[in-house]
Amino acid sequence: MNMRHPSTRGQISIQDVVKVYDPEGAAVMAVDHCSLDIDAGEICMIVGPSGCGKTTLLNAIAGFHEITSGRITMDGEVLCSNEKPKSTPGPDRIVVFQNGALFPWKSNLENVIFGPVMQGKLGRREAIEKGRAMMADAGLSGVEHNYPGEVSSGMRRRVEIVRALMNDPKALLLDEPYRALDSLTKSVMHEALLEIYYKNKVTIFFITHDLEEAIFLGHRVAIMTTRPCKPKKVLDVDIPHPRDYSVLTSKRFRELIEETNDAVHEEALKAFQAGEKEG
Amino acid sequence: MAAAIPVGAADGAVAALRESTPFGDAPPGLLARVAAIARAARYPAGARIYSAGDDADDIFVVVSGRVDHVFTPEVGAREPLKRMTRGGVFGWAGLLLGQTKRLATVTAAEPTEVLRLDTEALVALLESEPLDGGRVMERFVGMIQREFTLPAMLSQVRRLSGPLTEEMSSLSLTMYRLSLWLKSPRPYLMVIGFALFLGFWYLAVEVWKLPRFREMPGFTSVVKEWVSPNPTYGLSLYTEEYYQHIIVSIWRVTKAFLLATVLGVTFGLLLGWSRKFKEYVFPVFEMLRPIPILAWVPLAIVMFIATESAVVYLAFLASFFATALNTMLGVESIDESYIRAADCLGANRRQVFRHVIIPGAMPFIFTGLQISVGVSWFSLVAAEMVSGQYGLGYVINTSYMMVRYPTIIIGMVTLGIVGYITSALVRVAGDYLMEWRVRELALSER
Repeated sequence: MNMRHPSTRGQISIQDVVKVYDPEGAAVMAVDHCSLDIDAGEICMIVGPSGCGKTTLLNAIAGFHEITSGRITMDGEVLCSNEKPKSTPGPDRIVVFQNGALFPWKSNLENVIFGPVMQGKLGRREAIEKGRAMMADAGLSGVEHNYPGEVSSGMRRRVEIVRALMNDPKALLLDEPYRALDSLTKSVMHEALLEIYYKNKVTIFFITHDLEEAIFLGHRVAIMTTRPCKPKKVLDVDIPHPRDYSVLTSKRFRELIEETNDAVHEEALKAFQAGEKEG
Repeated sequence: MAAAIPVGAADGAVAALRESTPFGDAPPGLLARVAAIARAARYPAGARIYSAGDDADDIFVVVSGRVDHVFTPEVGAREPLKRMTRGGVFGWAGLLLGQTKRLATVTAAEPTEVLRLDTEALVALLESEPLDGGRVMERFVGMIQREFTLPAMLSQVRRLSGPLTEEMSSLSLTMYRLSLWLKSPRPYLMVIGFALFLGFWYLAVEVWKLPRFREMPGFTSVVKEWVSPNPTYGLSLYTEEYYQHIIVSIWRVTKAFLLATVLGVTFGLLLGWSRKFKEYVFPVFEMLRPIPILAWVPLAIVMFIATESAVVYLAFLASFFATALNTMLGVESIDESYIRAADCLGANRRQVFRHVIIPGAMPFIFTGLQISVGVSWFSLVAAEMVSGQYGLGYVINTSYMMVRYPTIIIGMVTLGIVGYITSALVRVAGDYLMEWRVRELALSER
């Protein structure tokens, strides 16, 4: 499979991870013995209904939450395990948040250079140079000195991804980043993301509840069960990359949707009946 | 994607305009009119679009492709080279005051499509819709200053001959807003509000002589006393003493407010940032906070030998609580994602504090400061009961004891006016420090 995504870094291995929330003595199992291997340079899409526990998994990889048991490694290096339940957040895996987390008090360019400057990797001047170049590359020249609040939501997402890529991360963890966007903007963003991916070949761990989005973008799509969360079905999307929007109308794309729709619908129904809160 | 925009099609022109900074938020009607005067043009890769020194006739908006924009050295631009893609705007030299020649040389780096807008036609069009047109001009100014970072001298943009904008220094922006405000119904509503209030006062006390109002000083007698060169009770706009009271009060409030700000913000940031600190301190803080200032007076007198520091201490106290509480709430209101994002990007705890916590809490801090400056004014009356010398609170207290009712009202109204001004100053300072927020709010039309 490594032939398909010619990257040598960013292999993430989730091994038997369990996460139990214990808020008021009543233990809730959010993730149940979940195992999943993500290849270096793969786009792995995680699909499940809202509140199924997929964000919990992302938080464990990113280092925002502890895991109860299990192990997560990246390129063989242990991020978290039974001995060290919480991984340390760092610029090798950067999260792009559901509602966007560009600092509204910093200009777009200041946001973009934040990582390297904070880590002391680049001087301000070099960082600005690199930031400008990367923004121009992503079609963002002209808005460097605007604040995030002054540009469109689609542009904000692009700035946020550029901010992440400035750190040369091994993996990007995206938590339903396009959820709040209208469907037209969304389709533009999908192609923009692929374009960025083809240039950078970074591992992408992408959470969504949108099956079409998942199949359009992903090398593989993991459909998760609802609370507790674990892979129910892993689909290999055998549509060759690079892809563009013509894929959406292709026969194979429709077939894949049909093949998986039932599984997704079943879980959505379960989640609905369980009355889980969005999250 | 990125389908080529059909050249000349008005929809395509509107879409391209919408992606540019100056026209980004213009209403559809105006955009359609701008699109109607736009002419489409194509340039092959390497073609010179214009050279520095040419006559500045058209303004260009990039539809597709890419251009290289190079300022001549005389311009003194901080970044002489700029690449522009879709939505990029250049060729605006004709908009500058006293500028008729091109300041830069522009070459197509790829096969490029542009829209050309005749500068004079555009200005005429913008003048015909003063409000929206003025906004577009403002955005032009912003773009020229920020994206092209020209020296301020050069980026003075022509004024629209309508009611609108000239060079958009912040002062002229304020004046522009003031003129808009004067044109809106709001100031007149305000005047009516005051007229009703004062009219009721006049009628209730002096004409109808309502029970309970009868003994109050009347509107006319207060005004007469206030503007009299020779006031019956010794205090009016013409007496030096009046200003002495005002200055003394302002000076006390300033000291109390500055102290409360420095200590309150620091304390509030600590409360919000460190859970342990909060657990130690917050309960005590919450117990002390509701105690009224008057209750502190005896202690203040015991604690401070000099009455002056006792007064400042009392005016400080309530303001400190307001600032600290709001700052703490500000820190707690910061979206967890920002802190997580900073963690992901490799910031350490100190950097998170400096770059996320402080700026993130800023809007709340300034709300707190506005409350706090008001609070310190009304604590002042209580505080100045302690002092035997000067101050507006002192005026009110002594006038009460000496039965000088009109003077009480003069003191109260003066307190109100000065308090209003100080709180407006705090708001201006906040707007200045939080430009990002002002711009965000401006875009959401608030």
